[in-house]
Amino acid sequence: MRWLALIWKSLMRSKRRTLLIVGSLVLSVFTVAVLQSLLTTLDTITNNPNSGSRIVVRHKAGLTQVLPRSYEAYLRQQPEVETVCAVQWFGGYYQDPRDFFANFASDETTLFQMFREEFGYNQLSEAQIKEFLRDGTGCIVGDSLAKKHGWKVGDTIPLTGTIFPINPRLTIRLIFKSPKLSDENGLHFHYKLLEEGFPAMKGRCGSFWVRVRRIEDIPRLVERVDRHFANSAYETLSETENAFNLSFVKMLGNIGAIIQGITLAVVVAILIVTGNTMATAIRERTTEIAVFRAMGFSSARVLVLLLVEGALLVGTGALLGVLLAHGAAGGVRASVGAVMPFFADFAILPPTVAQCMGGALAVGLLATFMPAYAATRKPITEGLKAVG
Amino acid sequence: MNSDRFDLGGGEPIITLRDVAKSYWREALEIPVLQGIDLEIPAGAYVALMGPSGSGKTTLLNLIAGIDRPTGGSLEVCGHELNGLDDDQLASWRNLHVGFIFQNYNLVPVLNAFENVELPLLLTGAGRGERRDRVEQALALVNLTDRMRNYPRQLSGGQEQRVAVARAIVTDPDLLVADEPTGALDAKNAEEVLALMERLNAELGKTIVMVTHDPKAAHHARHQIHLEKGVLDRTVEVNR
Repeated sequence: MRWLALIWKSLMRSKRRTLLIVGSLVLSVFTVAVLQSLLTTLDTITNNPNSGSRIVVRHKAGLTQVLPRSYEAYLRQQPEVETVCAVQWFGGYYQDPRDFFANFASDETTLFQMFREEFGYNQLSEAQIKEFLRDGTGCIVGDSLAKKHGWKVGDTIPLTGTIFPINPRLTIRLIFKSPKLSDENGLHFHYKLLEEGFPAMKGRCGSFWVRVRRIEDIPRLVERVDRHFANSAYETLSETENAFNLSFVKMLGNIGAIIQGITLAVVVAILIVTGNTMATAIRERTTEIAVFRAMGFSSARVLVLLLVEGALLVGTGALLGVLLAHGAAGGVRASVGAVMPFFADFAILPPTVAQCMGGALAVGLLATFMPAYAATRKPITEGLKAVG
Repeated sequence: MNSDRFDLGGGEPIITLRDVAKSYWREALEIPVLQGIDLEIPAGAYVALMGPSGSGKTTLLNLIAGIDRPTGGSLEVCGHELNGLDDDQLASWRNLHVGFIFQNYNLVPVLNAFENVELPLLLTGAGRGERRDRVEQALALVNLTDRMRNYPRQLSGGQEQRVAVARAIVTDPDLLVADEPTGALDAKNAEEVLALMERLNAELGKTIVMVTHDPKAAHHARHQIHLEKGVLDRTVEVNR
């Protein structure tokens, strides 16, 4: 018999109790892992390093309002600006209204310069770019979206508009691969197609995406642009792309506080459940612990045995919980990720795994330590008198 | 205070108690359990501690076994002054020198007979092969070789106590302490366990100190020490 065998046998003394506590830990850690990963995912939306050098200029009154395309000229004149791209959310669907993905009418002439990181510009075929620019009904789609629908270059994609009363038939001219899966769930087509199909949008645009030469210039530029258009018929709201994305996340409410609140509640629940279970298990073994110590096991050695037992119990539950969350994340990517692009990146990342495992072990050790320490401090003669 | 030293004669003492006292405190109230115990027990003795309930016999056994500490006096057992040992040293000392036999056997229910006997050896640093040999020898001595893979719930009371005896002797201690070792057994099993202890004393030279209130059990010892209200009352040499 080895030490680990002794610990394992002690742990399996009451199989039902062990299974129940492990089961509750699996569910708790699963919940924490998923919620923390949700926070991480939301954080990547609002802290995208590629977005650092871009700002979004839109109507101050909201996203449903449009700006004159003439603003584009002013923006281009600013010395800090590298390029400007007019982008309009189209909101169309392909075949099934429930089958949602992000699609935009975008200024094709500056699109690649604006989103070069997202499109993996250096890897793109020059011939395909030219083909897209030449074909007024051409579009580009992300690899992930294309794979989902089985699309390939040359296929015709009929989109049904939900915001604008037009149904463009688009031809895929280019499929791009992104470093991030969430960026591969979009489609862009020529802005002119929207203007031609829906003349009310001629000379108008939902937003301008602006790439700056130096990040440090952003605050000055944002302030100047909004000041310039202040008190006009079309006042602007300029903000960094991350801040723009954050406004969508904020629509979910103070989700960070909610998630941290739930996490705290789960951690306290684990502490109470584990503490109670270990206290009961240790109390039942009061005599046995006294016998161990009478035979020559030091208090410290018995304490370590009990702590390892607690850690093994909690560690098993936490590991299974994390594995379950990892499996669930794949499901979220495949299902929710298709509807909400940023969920295409949803994953239980190593820091979250470490956080869950470390947190669970710390809580488990703390919960075990209290009754274990008390048991090993109890005089041996008292322990031997206890009814086992 | 009893100033007469109780000396059982024989060879070199393995247990020497000088003016040992033990009190418990209940809030501010001191409850004396043992007072002025002077006692020498020679190596190889087989002693039964007897006395009415509350006379202090189990407390005296616990002090000798190093699982309790006196409030006064000194104890030298197996060549060590126990008052001078800290808790960890005392634990190591017990592992090396003392084997315990309890009234309720106190086997670990999730370990089989072999593993229960092996437990104290985990602390000795003995290798796996050596541990196996010593456990098998101990179980052979108590005639339970064929039951070594049985769990306590699969053994009779008498068999459980024999496993406990094997566990007590597996480290080859100098001293065996037994607290009412036959208290939970029927007459037949009690007789078997007592015969076994007698063999351990006679053939292996183990010093045995046993607490019992049963005159029949005490008759197996070579000496009986009677306690009365926390003091040594008399010793009786058993004629067999």
